[in-house]
Amino acid sequence: MLDRVFQQIKAGAHIEEEAVYEVCLRAQELLVTEANIGVVDTPVIICGDLHGQLHDLWTLFENNGDVSDNRYLFLGDFVDRGFYSLESFLLLLLCKLRYPDRVTLLRGNHESRQITRVYGFYDEVLRKYGNSSVWRACCEVFDYLALGAVVDGRIFCVHGGLSPEICELDRARAIDRKQEVPHEGAMCDLLWSDPEQVRGWAVSPRGAGYLFGRSQVSAFLHTNGLDQVARAHQLVMEGYREMFGGRLVTVWSAPNYCYRCGNVAAVMRVPEAGEAEYRVFESAGGPAGGLPVRGGRDYFL
Amino acid sequence: MNGNSKYEDRSNENKQDGKNTPSTTTSVFKSPASITNPGVLRGLRTIQINSAREIHARTVAARHPAMNRRPITTTSLKGDSVNDTHISSTTTTETINISTTTTIPKPRHICNNPNNPLCAHCGATIIPSPQATLPLADNPSVTIDDWVVSTMKKPILKTQEFEDWENNKLKGLSLPEMIFGNSYVRIKNTKYNWSLEFNTLDALSRVNLKDSGIRVSYSNKWIKSKQAKKTQLPDDLVSTSYDNQSLKIVNHYDWTYTTDYKGTETPTNQLQRDDAVKLPIDKLSRHDPIIFFDDMILFEDELADNGISVFNIKIRVMNERLLILARFFLRVDDVLLRIRDTRVYVEFNENKVIREYKEYEGNYNETIAKSKSTLQYSRDPKAALRDNEWVVRNIPLVNRESEILILQ
Repeated sequence: MLDRVFQQIKAGAHIEEEAVYEVCLRAQELLVTEANIGVVDTPVIICGDLHGQLHDLWTLFENNGDVSDNRYLFLGDFVDRGFYSLESFLLLLLCKLRYPDRVTLLRGNHESRQITRVYGFYDEVLRKYGNSSVWRACCEVFDYLALGAVVDGRIFCVHGGLSPEICELDRARAIDRKQEVPHEGAMCDLLWSDPEQVRGWAVSPRGAGYLFGRSQVSAFLHTNGLDQVARAHQLVMEGYREMFGGRLVTVWSAPNYCYRCGNVAAVMRVPEAGEAEYRVFESAGGPAGGLPVRGGRDYFL
Repeated sequence: MNGNSKYEDRSNENKQDGKNTPSTTTSVFKSPASITNPGVLRGLRTIQINSAREIHARTVAARHPAMNRRPITTTSLKGDSVNDTHISSTTTTETINISTTTTIPKPRHICNNPNNPLCAHCGATIIPSPQATLPLADNPSVTIDDWVVSTMKKPILKTQEFEDWENNKLKGLSLPEMIFGNSYVRIKNTKYNWSLEFNTLDALSRVNLKDSGIRVSYSNKWIKSKQAKKTQLPDDLVSTSYDNQSLKIVNHYDWTYTTDYKGTETPTNQLQRDDAVKLPIDKLSRHDPIIFFDDMILFEDELADNGISVFNIKIRVMNERLLILARFFLRVDDVLLRIRDTRVYVEFNENKVIREYKEYEGNYNETIAKSKSTLQYSRDPKAALRDNEWVVRNIPLVNRESEILILQ
């Protein structure tokens, strides 16, 4: 069954509802056994936001090697924005089901019911199936995704950033993660917070959400005996961006984001020994080589 | 499930599953031909999606100059009113008919960029091809009498440019996520040396660096929960991770990126305020052939998924006039909706320019109540709030200004 769904994704064919449910159910059964903060060995390929850009996910796999003989860690935000959220998410689940110890999937802030309602995934499912059951099934899986991972005992991987409630990583291990992403608390911070040139912890001018600076990153790494934070969540033109003297890196894996930003994407390859390497890749071009100009030429007034 | 097969082993895919696999073995997903191959289609909805893809592929192809030179629509040659479906449905069947060329008025405009997709007189409307928004810059331009219209589309700012804007040019502002900082729309009268340009830097420089007073819907709840946590935590934790600043907003700026930008005029203050001046809606409503069209975003931010803030600009040039619509659209989920529209109209023969600026603002909950009663959106009322055309018709107008300039 899994192979058939895989072939359908590859062929751009319709995937039956029942098959989606089956994949989601199996994925839940597998993910429920995982810890909040996974332990991942090297070598590993760390990937940032994907946002439903299936063509670019294929490129990513092509450039970096088969899942069968490489270890991958995805930092979340698999869905929304792109035209193929469902297919992208299913593809990752299939990889996870086939090679559970080679694929780590972390939850991003877009792996949430509220967010997907607004930013495309819900609409995509409605368009493809005429009802939202498939979206519901996927959201159930979102609730079981891990919140973070530690690579080789030295790199803390998370979608957004740090939380003032999590000085020691053990506190993250105690979170009850099997729920919709809450609007407050440590789980929310891990998926939402952003690094900034600020002193201490600061609240975003939006009135919610943390900004954290260099000293927070240093303190967190020191307390937990780690070297670096690898996160995603923010678009970077060059695909990756190091901050705070390299102690934090943002990885972005959706080239030409939203099919119009013109950015390149990157993955971070962490070898068994030695320095991590960033491998940059460009857009596969998206559906049929481009995106329709919205509505095309129109007699707007 | 076949336990031996490898997911990434493409050479085996035909053997594994003949039913659903098209004949090509590599990069199956990228090929439009295989996507539209009826053999791989399943179910009615798939067909709908695929027909959408086909329309899209046709649209892209129709804009490609090389493919358009021979097949051409006779309707557009005659200068009749044309619409999108017309172009795409007839492109492949009609060929140039010499006799119809006699009915074309002599082209009034000059295509300034040899890479312009061909215009109505040469084959198609000038719409920059979508591929051109990728790393390559796209810079179509057209001249009508003394008026030169040009647009530039480039990718988002590089980190280096971004940091320069953040640390120098727009110091104090945490920049929006997507900044198309090298894109612009410019109209210029070469005889009177007057120009009006819409660019990203000037648009963002009008964002307020004070507290906007607007908070996301769950801000109170969030702050309260943090204060509660703070009192619950053991003292050592409070002292190490929460200092006195930790629940304060340190950098104040208008995080909604609201801007009253109306374009950059050179020389300044030529347009004279006269609120009695109105746009000639009758003339602008006519479906005169469009000889130049563009649609671009100058900046966009998703407000950390609390809504959207986007500055979009559209331009269409007809034989006798042009219209620009620059729209700032803001939606803060569960809080408010805001639109700022600037329209610029130029009548070429009269060298007349009218600029109209309108501000709209509405409460989120009141607006969504309206969308629930709109048939089109009754099933998904939030979709209406993503449709800025629907929003502008359904939130109150709070301010209107207009200006006029006659170059003589």
